[in-house]
Amino acid sequence: MSGKSGSVVIEFRDVGLYLGGKEITQNVEFNVRKGEFVCVIGASGCGKTTLLRLVSGLYQPTTGSVHVDGKKVDGPSRDVAIVFQDYSRALLPWRTAAGNVSLALEAIGMPRAERADRIHALLGKVGLAQHAAKYPSQLSGGMQQRLQIARSLAQGASILLMDEPFGALDAMTRQSLQDEVLELAADTGATVLFVTHDLEEALYLGDRVVALYSNPGRIARIVDIPLTRPRNQLSTREEPDFLHLRRELFGLMEEIHA
Amino acid sequence: MRRGFNFPGLAFLQGLVGLALFVWVWHLIVASGAVPRAFLPSPEATWNAFVRGVTIGDMREQLLGTVLRMINGWLLASLVGIALGSAIGISETLRNYLRPTLAFARALPASAVVPVAIALVGLTPGMVLGVIVFGSIWPTLLATVQGFAMVDPRLVEVSRALHLSRFDFIWKIGLPNAVPDIITGMRLSLTVALILAIVGEMLAGQEGLGKAILLAARMFRAPDLYAGIVLLGLVGLVSSYGLLLVERRVARWRR
Repeated sequence: MSGKSGSVVIEFRDVGLYLGGKEITQNVEFNVRKGEFVCVIGASGCGKTTLLRLVSGLYQPTTGSVHVDGKKVDGPSRDVAIVFQDYSRALLPWRTAAGNVSLALEAIGMPRAERADRIHALLGKVGLAQHAAKYPSQLSGGMQQRLQIARSLAQGASILLMDEPFGALDAMTRQSLQDEVLELAADTGATVLFVTHDLEEALYLGDRVVALYSNPGRIARIVDIPLTRPRNQLSTREEPDFLHLRRELFGLMEEIHA
Repeated sequence: MRRGFNFPGLAFLQGLVGLALFVWVWHLIVASGAVPRAFLPSPEATWNAFVRGVTIGDMREQLLGTVLRMINGWLLASLVGIALGSAIGISETLRNYLRPTLAFARALPASAVVPVAIALVGLTPGMVLGVIVFGSIWPTLLATVQGFAMVDPRLVEVSRALHLSRFDFIWKIGLPNAVPDIITGMRLSLTVALILAIVGEMLAGQEGLGKAILLAARMFRAPDLYAGIVLLGLVGLVSSYGLLLVERRVARWRR
């Protein structure tokens, strides 16, 4: 089913969720393996983000269960980090870039003396070493999202949940961040569950793509992406497999929207 | 309030002109003889009384007495207000339970509880302090509750995802988020604290400007009365403006 042969780290077992009497998610069942990069696509309101909240323990399923590392999720875990789409709301505006990364280190109880080096290394990883003393309001959107990624890395989690992280960014910034996230995922060996409404982004990043129907959110199709890594913004997007999958999924998405 | 105003010097100058006009009109009214001098002294007489009071008179001690009373009550009210406000603000349930009660207590004029306070603790410095604290706690307390209630839900999720303890959430997210509101509340509290310090002095006979202007009025020493009023106005102005500066500095991350 998947290109990677690692053990299963995220399991959706026949998951259903009702919120305020409305059925959000229905019969969702799929697995994510260790180190795998899985993208979830679907129209807005199809419950993509809900799936991330279920894995992160911010929501509890009404029926079925979500398991991480074999254990049933019953609340947030430090081994699961989440990157929100609205970076400007997810960062602490009164803390500098360094201070925002520090929050995650403080949360895991790292002694003060060790934090400075770690913060510097993490900010360096996302290209923000020069901006450590700036407040989020002084950073561009792309930089704020990099900062949120650095904070999620600081948590030391092996599972990274990303909720349309580049949806609000311009095309150039989005492409460079896509490549940075692929690099970071490869470096850290993290398992990534990535939600997007951008079909091409899903194909470019993922090992697999999970497409969802709307109202309620349920799985329409799960597609393996056999494109070679490392991926390249130009050549990958020109590969016959890419174009073929794009056509296929595009058709599916039109069907979903209809 | 606006930063980068084109002519900040000009605005200041305009303010001075306005003030000078006010004093000039005051002078004209006194000079016309329309109001007896026993009720309205001339600006010059007021100024002389002011200088005399500050140099050879007791005005400095009285000023110190009033300012200390105001600041002590205000600091105590701020501390208790922030602590109580955090405790209430952190819980939505508690907020809902207490909102009407707090709204009532806030709307209650603090001077209305003075008779109760006198009956309970007598005409003591403690009573005055208590009334100042009771009266000036509300703006800070309510601002703190408000600051906590307005924490972005996303930040609540961030703190949950990071497993922040309840204390860390209060200390690292709730309170910093509330700080601009708290400072604004404290600025309003300070004004109330000054009013109540003066009322308290008048009622309980504590040494201070409030008692001094009351005595001056009773003895028909109009210039002394007006000098005291001007000085009290200055205290209010300086303290309020000082906190406005703090407010701007603390909230520099807010654009």
